[in-house]
Amino acid sequence: MSEDRIPEIPLFDRARQRRGYKLNKMAMGLSQPGNRAAMRADEDAYLDRFGLNAEEKAAVKARDWKEMVRLGGNVFYLLKLASITPATMTEIGAHQADMDHETFLRERLGKQRKGA
Amino acid sequence: MAKLIGGLGSSHVPSIGLAMDKGLTGTEDWKPFFDGIGPGRDWIAANRPDVAIVVFNDHGNSFFLDKVPTFAVGTAERYDPIDEGWGPRAIPSFEGHAELGWHIVDTMVERAFDPMIVQEIEVDHGLQVPMELFFSRPEKQWPVKVVPIFVNVIQYPVPLPSRCHALGKVLREAIESYPGDDRVVIIGTGGLSHQLQGSRAGFVNPEADRQFLNDIAADPDKLAAMSREDYVRLFGSEGAELMMWLVMRGAMDRKVEVRHEHYYVPASMTGAGMIVLENLGA
Repeated sequence: MSEDRIPEIPLFDRARQRRGYKLNKMAMGLSQPGNRAAMRADEDAYLDRFGLNAEEKAAVKARDWKEMVRLGGNVFYLLKLASITPATMTEIGAHQADMDHETFLRERLGKQRKGA
Repeated sequence: MAKLIGGLGSSHVPSIGLAMDKGLTGTEDWKPFFDGIGPGRDWIAANRPDVAIVVFNDHGNSFFLDKVPTFAVGTAERYDPIDEGWGPRAIPSFEGHAELGWHIVDTMVERAFDPMIVQEIEVDHGLQVPMELFFSRPEKQWPVKVVPIFVNVIQYPVPLPSRCHALGKVLREAIESYPGDDRVVIIGTGGLSHQLQGSRAGFVNPEADRQFLNDIAADPDKLAAMSREDYVRLFGSEGAELMMWLVMRGAMDRKVEVRHEHYYVPASMTGAGMIVLENLGA
């Protein structure tokens, strides 16, 4: 994949979107209760329905948000995976920023936690 | 003819809706945000609009990447809240103003904007949250009819900021040529600064956000002249949603009075803002 045109920003352009189409479609599927049940019952079978390759499947199964975005996933779709394995938006952000959650909240979002 | 009585701006962060669902509005994280929305609700109560035109983007809920309209206008009688993956939220369906929606479509096409026409669609937090912030959450029925206007701000190419501003001017013309005496508000939604993707995830820019809240009232031409890349750099990859406030602003007079302004950061990962504008003429 080409370098980001703007540093640190995976702009959802044509190349990225086309690369991530299947991955995003799989995640979009989780809007349907039946698909959520199917993924919970047999994750491999659910992912195979969307034709994900081995690299994509591994990233999804590891809930590797950073890798899924690198592979063309867009967080608006990927977020639906949190209905299977709970994760907050800030946890997903921290993972992409390579920070632990508390550090991310403090350094990126300026949060002062109690006792800190 | 219908009358545009106000231009409203609001973030549509899903966590704001979740905070209301879970009764967290008084917590340390959320109280400073919710404390500042009261004057927006008071303005609505005092000015009693009949219709809200809500300019927002779907977030991979009603539209997938298989069909991506740059601009889409709702012409339905009713819009249900959508299941975004966690089950539908316990809020009433929105009654659509189908006739005004069609009139907006007619006017847009006559003015060389060519929208997708949508007669059946569910609406996500992009519309829900601003409606809840301004109108509270009713038991059974919202106090206004809605016309949703969807803008693609996710899949590039997204429209130019200047085009969003120009669309607002066409919406003003549509409102003022619509028969009857409906009192209309237009709500620009999204932003403010946030980035959800990539190594710069968690980027917020409070200084730029405050300048935006100033400029959207005082100098919208400056905001309309900026490039899409300017928005992404200044406000983050998802902060480009702020272009949708320009649709609202384009519908308003050149001169406006700011009746309310509120800013708080962070709402989840986002700079959250609200503004209420009234027309002053010209």
